[in-house]
Amino acid sequence: MWKTIVRRFLLMIPQLFVLSILIFILAKFMPGDPFTGLITPETDPSRIEELTEKAGLNDPWHIQYVRWIARAVQGDFGMSYTFKRDVASLIGERALNTFWLSFLSVILLYAIAIPLGILAGRYHNSRLDKTVIFYSFFTYAIPTFVLSLVFLYIFGYKLEWFPTSGSVDIKYEPGTLGYIWSKGYHIILPAITYAILGTTGVIQYLRSEIIDTKAMDFVRTARSKGIPTRKVYSKHIIRNSLLPIAAFLGFTITGLLGGSIFIETIFGYPGMGQLFVSSISSRDYSVITALVMLYGFLTLLGSLLSDIIMSIVDPRIRIE
Amino acid sequence: MRIRRWSLLVLLISILLVLAACRGDDKIKSKEAAKEQTTEDLFDVSVSNKGEPIKGGTLQVAIVKDEPFKGVFSWELYEDGYDANIMSWASNSIFEVDGDFLITDEGIASMDVDQKNKKVTIKIRDGVKWSDGEPLKIEDVILPYLIIGHPSYTGVRHDSSFQNIVGAEEYHSGKAKTISGIKKIDDETLEISFKQLSPAIYSGGDGLWTYAAPSHQIADIPIDQLIESDEVRKNPVTLGPFKFKKIVPGESVQFVKNEYYWKGKPKLDGVVIKIVPSSSISVAIGSGNYDLVMGFNATKMPEIENYNNINVLGRPELYYSYLGFKVGKYNYEAKKVETNMNGSKMGNKKLRQAMGYALDIEQVSEVFYHNLRTRANSLIPPAFASFYDKSLKGYYYDPEKAKSLLDDAGYVDVNGDGLREDPNGKKLEIKLAALSGDSAQEEIIAYYIQNWKDIGLNVTLTSDRLIEFNSFYDRVRADDPEIDIFMGAWGTGTNPSPAGLFGATDQYNFTRYTSKSLETTIKNIDSAKSFDKKYRAQQFRAFQQHLEDVATMIPMQFRYEIYPVNKRVKNYSIDYSNPTELHEIELVAEEPIASK
Repeated sequence: MWKTIVRRFLLMIPQLFVLSILIFILAKFMPGDPFTGLITPETDPSRIEELTEKAGLNDPWHIQYVRWIARAVQGDFGMSYTFKRDVASLIGERALNTFWLSFLSVILLYAIAIPLGILAGRYHNSRLDKTVIFYSFFTYAIPTFVLSLVFLYIFGYKLEWFPTSGSVDIKYEPGTLGYIWSKGYHIILPAITYAILGTTGVIQYLRSEIIDTKAMDFVRTARSKGIPTRKVYSKHIIRNSLLPIAAFLGFTITGLLGGSIFIETIFGYPGMGQLFVSSISSRDYSVITALVMLYGFLTLLGSLLSDIIMSIVDPRIRIE
Repeated sequence: MRIRRWSLLVLLISILLVLAACRGDDKIKSKEAAKEQTTEDLFDVSVSNKGEPIKGGTLQVAIVKDEPFKGVFSWELYEDGYDANIMSWASNSIFEVDGDFLITDEGIASMDVDQKNKKVTIKIRDGVKWSDGEPLKIEDVILPYLIIGHPSYTGVRHDSSFQNIVGAEEYHSGKAKTISGIKKIDDETLEISFKQLSPAIYSGGDGLWTYAAPSHQIADIPIDQLIESDEVRKNPVTLGPFKFKKIVPGESVQFVKNEYYWKGKPKLDGVVIKIVPSSSISVAIGSGNYDLVMGFNATKMPEIENYNNINVLGRPELYYSYLGFKVGKYNYEAKKVETNMNGSKMGNKKLRQAMGYALDIEQVSEVFYHNLRTRANSLIPPAFASFYDKSLKGYYYDPEKAKSLLDDAGYVDVNGDGLREDPNGKKLEIKLAALSGDSAQEEIIAYYIQNWKDIGLNVTLTSDRLIEFNSFYDRVRADDPEIDIFMGAWGTGTNPSPAGLFGATDQYNFTRYTSKSLETTIKNIDSAKSFDKKYRAQQFRAFQQHLEDVATMIPMQFRYEIYPVNKRVKNYSIDYSNPTELHEIELVAEEPIASK
């Protein structure tokens, strides 16, 4: 297995290389450049030309690419054109915010979805099952920004249970307990929103798996042996039904850094989703390429992780 | 799947926005009385609330923005306007300006202009201190020039007007160690020599820099590392009434009062500025979360209209939008505008004028912008009181006049399809480039196209859709043959001079119109003779009249900016000629007041 993992990692290099060329060309295809946004009556067009030239944006793309990749392999992704700071530290700052938010939401998501899925599957066609199905379709149908705004309005502004924007209250010193508490306090509401919106997939998978497994031969065997129903569920059915969920776990882990543009915008939470979208509209090439490379790497890593997890959970699967 | 979800959301947003817009329409239509009112009557520029002021207190300021702020807190280096909004509470500006944004002697520094020798003498006040207690030195006034002119400076402010300072070019190319035209006379006095001197110097033009930089703090930092340094990002010292205490990157800034402020100790203990998403700002205002809101979008006005915990202040913005007609090309090699009236589809003056009269901008301003935008009559915003020509008729909605102009010019419908052909009887299709924006923008443009159709002109969109910002300016700049007319806008900044946007060598002269008399007027506006204010105002008038007459750029809308202010704030004013002194702001309650 170790051999395979190493091989998969080596295989990532050419994959990422191709991705980097693709994103580089596509980014340059977009009209405008990072300096287009600076056009005002007060800026001098000749200065903008000078800056464009200085930044090397007038060179053909392959020359720019070689220059970029030579630095990128050393871990230097350059300066953000709009934020005027090191791309790595900018992404690092946002990634940390996004990570904690996603981490809490994923925990909440499973905490809500797994029990609901199991109950709905076990008491198939009961009133409880129908309620869960209704809930899951309702949350699937409701747009992110609507639920976020409603929650923000009710729990943030009317009931004043939660802060309404930002990731931390400015009155706390970084590193103190109060600061950490404030950070946690700020992510609760967006995390709940995010979790509720994401439960549908897990609930539906789990429910239908359980319904299917219930009818399997080995379950019937177990039952006929006289094993109590509770034990049949906990030992036989649930374990098997969790397999498809486990298959996605790798992606879920690496997806923690994806971020959500809607949640971040509505809750004023500086995260990765916003950074990605705004870097595209402002043509911040260095941030765009760095982010796409990061996401590309995470996706490959996610699929590898999923395979590894599957092989652990399901002994029938082997990575060769 | 991901894509499907996205497009679904986009669709839903648009539906919601359309619904919201519809609701707005009804409201406006039911209030016919409001129609007669001009915006000047609708808003106060200042407010004073009754009540005993509390001691100290912290002012809560919201900046409406859907993205984190950039956080470059240096006047020499910042590029994003929101950073300037934040810095305005801790400004390093050394000059004060009057209602026309012209420099006065009231500030930290005073300026003496020697026209004959093309020299400016800047003298700083005695006893002014930085927020860390260090005295302000004349070196602090010199430092910004050395930053901006430096070979490794990467900002936009090193431009041709900066090179108007004697010796700036040599310094920038690395040939000289300092700028020879900048001379320290004594500890309070500085002399700057210019190659040319114009009245724009009073607007901070010609290369003059109007801010100081703390040399005791940043002089030793290499220029190319300055922008990433803590002295710019985390703990800049200032000359303003407040100083930075804490910054949460992209989210909020905490200011405390600057004990050393030269006009006296601020009455407030501090100011907290927070970025607030536009989706929830109206609710936040009603809940009394903020005392002062900057960057509030005027189209959301109906959402806050009924709150009783705020006063809404408004003032004309330094902005105009316009309809531009391409009548030539820019020669990027020779760097000059080449006007070609006869060879351009839009070369006929009567056609252009008719297109101006055909637009029902009045209706659009009322329905979509609640009269917070008004039809513009000039290419100088009214905020520039001395230069703006109130008497100009401009273009207004008059379709009959438009039709008769077209008839006169020979644009008539020959083949009876309801659309006019050009004077040679050939089909006339006019390509309009317009910027994409919110969903209202789409409706507005469709309405304008209908306006033109009503007078018999066939106007279609370039590439059949609205164009995204980057692409729009790329194509307008390149004189794309697919663009006959375009709708753009300029934020003018505080210098109203048309130089840079209308000159014969200006790239940003997007209509590519130039003429001898226009060129003379522009030169006159910034000539030595224009140091006479009356003469300058007269030349400004001539400029506005000339452009109205040739109609290559038809002004469309002026815009008002509005500031919701909580009733907790004792006094506040956004009057350009008499703004609130920030150190004198007082509060009358411990917490901002919520709406009942």
